[in-house]
Amino acid sequence: MVEAIGISKSFGPTVALTDVSFSVGKGEIVGFLGPNGAGKTTTMRILTGFLPANAGEVKVAGFDVFESPMEVKRRVGYLPESPPLYPELSVGEYLAFVGELRGLTGRACRSQTGAVMERVGLGGWEARILGSLSKGYRQRVGLAQALLHDPPVLILDEPTSGLDPTQMVGIRALIQDLATSHTVILSTHVLQEVEALCPRAIVIGRGRVLASGTLAELKRRAKRGSWTFIEAQGIDARQLATTPGVDQVEPLASVDSGWPAFRVMSRDDVRQGLVDRVVAAGGHVRAVEARLATLEEAFIDIVGEEGVTQGKAG
Amino acid sequence: MTGLRGAWTIWKKELRSYAVSPLAYVFLGTFLVLSGLFFYLGISLTGEASLRVLLANLAVTQLFVLPMLTMRHFAEERRQGTLELLLTAPVPLSSIVVGKWLASLTLCLLMLAGTGVFPVILGYYGDPDWGVIACSYLGLVAVACGFSAAGLFASSLTDDQVAAGLLGIMILLPFWLVHQAEALLPADWAAAVQRFGVLRHLESFERGVLDSADVLYFVVFTFIFLFLTFRSLESRRWR
Repeated sequence: MVEAIGISKSFGPTVALTDVSFSVGKGEIVGFLGPNGAGKTTTMRILTGFLPANAGEVKVAGFDVFESPMEVKRRVGYLPESPPLYPELSVGEYLAFVGELRGLTGRACRSQTGAVMERVGLGGWEARILGSLSKGYRQRVGLAQALLHDPPVLILDEPTSGLDPTQMVGIRALIQDLATSHTVILSTHVLQEVEALCPRAIVIGRGRVLASGTLAELKRRAKRGSWTFIEAQGIDARQLATTPGVDQVEPLASVDSGWPAFRVMSRDDVRQGLVDRVVAAGGHVRAVEARLATLEEAFIDIVGEEGVTQGKAG
Repeated sequence: MTGLRGAWTIWKKELRSYAVSPLAYVFLGTFLVLSGLFFYLGISLTGEASLRVLLANLAVTQLFVLPMLTMRHFAEERRQGTLELLLTAPVPLSSIVVGKWLASLTLCLLMLAGTGVFPVILGYYGDPDWGVIACSYLGLVAVACGFSAAGLFASSLTDDQVAAGLLGIMILLPFWLVHQAEALLPADWAAAVQRFGVLRHLESFERGVLDSADVLYFVVFTFIFLFLTFRSLESRRWR
């Protein structure tokens, strides 16, 4: 449904994107992850035709953004980072204006506006002036605006930034609901959001695609991605590390009284070997478990410590 | 077709924004107060039943008022982030530019319509030459077309609307000041630059003559600035 092939973009001497490629299938909901300043917004802007890329191709529903921008724009609903609202207009006036811009007229426009307002929880808010709305409601109007022409593709740039937790949950539920009938690309740096919404994610940093795959794949790919948790008595980390196939063992804070726990890093599954090793040393095992890194750990590993600090500074 | 409908949609929205903007009312008021002043001075100084003084001065007033009315258009869209909305909607950029231009033109026509009370007064007490008055008004409309296009261009250059307004005035000032060019330049040079002056091309309108060369001047003036606006918005996407 959405396909980017080798897109690059520079702003004067600043390189924003280098050879970014990915594709998103019909009906998929994909998280677009990366620290601030990684190039998320630039990518979204290129996908929607707001910015032209210096090199590469973008296709939405088979149409090239550069060659047939109108066809692409008709099929994409876009919520930019800050909702594009005119503070002097009322909610109703604004949505009518956007609807008309997107080619809806008369009764179709009114009924569609009404339906979308209900859907995002703005029922009865027609007369409110946009400038007086709170952040959460502004975000809802922004989302309503993106949905008006019922586009098959939704591109949402940090849809929950600046919202309070209740509003966040509300917007997430809405996105989840939308994902059943739309292709959604969701840019964010909030990892819980990706965990909650997206089966698949694309990680970008410093203008490049660093990794892409299902969340489980991303976690497994991380350097410290998969590891074995073991609780054992009568053995220490140094002895455990002599198990064949084990790369490294770190003691963990014990989960509860008395039982020491270890984090065992290895390339392959070493659970059997670990148990044998403990038994051979005359110790006892209470638990052995293969574990995956959290998305946060995987993210930091993929983006690199540097990217994360940069992100915080920006 | 999408182009026309897009321009119409933008036009309606811009007029709605003007309708709730205090700035538009302040300028409307100021414009009418100044017009009243020019009308009174014109009559009392010349003793003629004509609007010569009023209309000549209104042309210069427009030079300051129109950039102020258009400064908001693209500067504010960019600052608010709504330019992203417009440029990702299936509407050609040209119809966005034209829609906004027509909206400021409409407001300006409303201002000019407000001065319509003066010819009525003149007609009641005197016997003015209606052909001259109608033609002068046409001249003012031509000026409004050109100046609002220039103001729009200034607005496309920056995201600060006050800067855009001042820039618009700076762009237009030379078209007025060239009439004093002989003070600075040798006579034949001065004559050459004066051909670009706005007042020079308004003279025929004010005499009640429609000269196709002068009409063409304003058409080209408007077109060039609308085109520059379009190009400036288009090129900013690349930087």
